Amino acid sequence: MEEKNNIQIISEDIINLVIARLETIPPDVEMSVGNEGSFPIGELIKRVKKQDDIGKKIIEMQLAYLRSLGKLPTKDLQNASANN
Amino acid sequence: MLLLITRPRYDTPTHYLFYWAGLLIDEAKKKGIKVIDLDKGKAKKKKLHSYLDKQPIDTVILNGHGSPEAVAGQDDEIILSTGNGTKLLGNKIIFVRACDAGKILGKEIMKNGAGGFIGYLQPFIFPIDKNYFNKPLEDELAAPVLKCSNQVGTSLIRGRSATEAHKDSLDKYAETIDKYSSSEAINSFLLPILFWNMTSQVCYQ
Repeated sequence: MEEKNNIQIISEDIINLVIARLETIPPDVEMSVGNEGSFPIGELIKRVKKQDDIGKKIIEMQLAYLRSLGKLPTKDLQNASANN
Repeated sequence: MLLLITRPRYDTPTHYLFYWAGLLIDEAKKKGIKVIDLDKGKAKKKKLHSYLDKQPIDTVILNGHGSPEAVAGQDDEIILSTGNGTKLLGNKIIFVRACDAGKILGKEIMKNGAGGFIGYLQPFIFPIDKNYFNKPLEDELAAPVLKCSNQVGTSLIRGRSATEAHKDSLDKYAETIDKYSSSEAINSFLLPILFWNMTSQVCYQ
């Protein structure tokens, strides 16, 4: 995400990545998002496309997790390379 | 120990929290702990403030919707907010299972002399399997998240400090994340949700 004049611009690649991840969630699942209520996944995908407040939170959540994968403890990385 | 719990129930998120907080009540009662259960219509500001003022409560667990400055009870009534009720929490340990309340409200609660505060800096997010709406405790998708957050309450009931209860919960999140990270695991879509709630949870002591 880059910032221009205090407006966050989220690249289309990131939006598509988040949508692809949401599409892996089974259709019977709804997401309870704090005060906003609970949403079917299709609705969340729409919100992500619109980049409204809920959509942005979902993007933030997915990106936080993906970024954390780059910070795996060395032991995990060693195990991963040993398994390959 | 005297424990007070609020558990409103009027929409899907509070419906789930109502049942999961009920497990904490069961556990407290098993341990012989007296519980003041402000459920549904009893989760009102007047009742909460009256109990906090008059009863020797040690531990408070608030479930419901929240914001950086407030926590709601039944039907979105604000039951605790900055400048309104935080002084009633002196020397008590408080766990607020509501969105964002760790940002401002938690800090004010601590400034007013609470013994410890655990809450969240972001919206509390959890998945719901629609097929289990009437049996929230059997919902295997909501359970991993709600078990990790319930750990805070379980540890407090066992007499652990706020810092220890927070750590116990984070350990449970880490263990659950490991479980869903394994190559055999299904429902790996839970991982970002677990990570989000784990990293949003804060403790002040």
